[in-house]
Amino acid sequence: MAYPLHTPRVNNNDDHVQIIELSVKEGDFVKQGQVVAAVETDKAIVEVESDRDAYVLKIMSAVDAQAAVGSVLMWLGDSQDEKVTETVATPATDKAASNALLQQPTAKARALIKKHNLDIASIPCAGERLGVGDVEAYLLKAGSGTPRQMATMPAETIDKIPEVAGSLQNLSPEGRGMVATVSWHRDQAAHGYLEMEYDPEPWDSYAKAYASENKLMLSPMLPLLAYQLVRLAAENPRLNGTIVNGQRYQYEPINLGFTVQADQTLYLTVIREAQNLSPQEFIEALGGIQRLAMAHKLKPEQMTGATLSFSSMARWNVSRHIPLLPPHTSIMIAHAAPRGSNRAVLGASYDHRLLTGFDVVQVLQALVKKPA
Amino acid sequence: MSVDNNAVKSAIREKLIAIASSLDADASGISDEDIIPATGLVDSAGILELVVWFEKTYELTLSQEEINIDNLGSINAMAAFLATKKSAA
Repeated sequence: MAYPLHTPRVNNNDDHVQIIELSVKEGDFVKQGQVVAAVETDKAIVEVESDRDAYVLKIMSAVDAQAAVGSVLMWLGDSQDEKVTETVATPATDKAASNALLQQPTAKARALIKKHNLDIASIPCAGERLGVGDVEAYLLKAGSGTPRQMATMPAETIDKIPEVAGSLQNLSPEGRGMVATVSWHRDQAAHGYLEMEYDPEPWDSYAKAYASENKLMLSPMLPLLAYQLVRLAAENPRLNGTIVNGQRYQYEPINLGFTVQADQTLYLTVIREAQNLSPQEFIEALGGIQRLAMAHKLKPEQMTGATLSFSSMARWNVSRHIPLLPPHTSIMIAHAAPRGSNRAVLGASYDHRLLTGFDVVQVLQALVKKPA
Repeated sequence: MSVDNNAVKSAIREKLIAIASSLDADASGISDEDIIPATGLVDSAGILELVVWFEKTYELTLSQEEINIDNLGSINAMAAFLATKKSAA
């Protein structure tokens, strides 16, 4: 007797599914519970199992074809010579088609390929069929080129739409950047945080004298602190690196990231090749890029490529903030100065894979000392 | 091109008060001669916000060197600087 195996419904909204894998060919004997196919909608991939021990008599669809929910996906039978009464074109009966079936990626590999928008032809296959292991090996190798390639890999997506009513909204470029930063910080860095209180008076006096001497409108204290960080990184290159595939990646330029809150947008502005600037040049460069950020006129290269970073939330009167590390950086200094407390705080988020707590304490101690 | 000096000073003061207010400070008593950074009513980011607003409102493009106490240090200085820039345009 011949038994129909029907195309399953994956979700209530889709009356058709795409056949993304046929794991068997006509003439095969399958066991109950054995996966015989995989089907997909926009929301999910579902494996189709045989509901009995039986021979595959006739396959009624093909890979990449759209199949109506409830239609016969394949006919199964107690013996190989059972008659199938339905006469529908059979797409995969000859030997060439069967070989082509074997060369199809597995369902999970196909999902991974789709997630990362990869070209199947460029992925080496270790066995008869392209598997998840092949795709993961390919991704790992692709990621070893430069850290930036890894940073631009899409953040993990949430596949399940919440049950509460709502709608999906596109993120702004800055929003996407924040997702990438948070995901890298969560998935890659071994996050540590240290902070140190200090007496801000010597630094304040130094900055006021510097501003007066140079007739500056803006206090140079934070720029000078950030510049001090650049000098420290020049002396200790480990501050200016990251970990890529188990190896330390040493940056050549010191690209200092400096956060700027402009209206509702948080920018990480970047002063490139900061190690080549004098203090005054650095202050001017930072002032210029801050103005561009405030006017929302930054160019892409002015908000990408930071190799270490500095942030202050003193203006918001917070007592502590623990910043997230921007992708592929090992340290971010956080400054806070609660009003009326006669104290200031320098903290540091750091990647413990590269820096120890002692390393970071030394950085903080050197920063709180005002320049001679 | 001429500008209304009193209107400019009034607009600058209004913006300065708004920025200070966002920082929980009251700048309503600031005089035209007060050196803005020295008042402590607004921080560096606030001054930067004032400068960016000044450029945008009066269609100016300032070089980094022009952003100094002499040119922009007080409400009077800002208004005078604007008049000079517009007369040269």
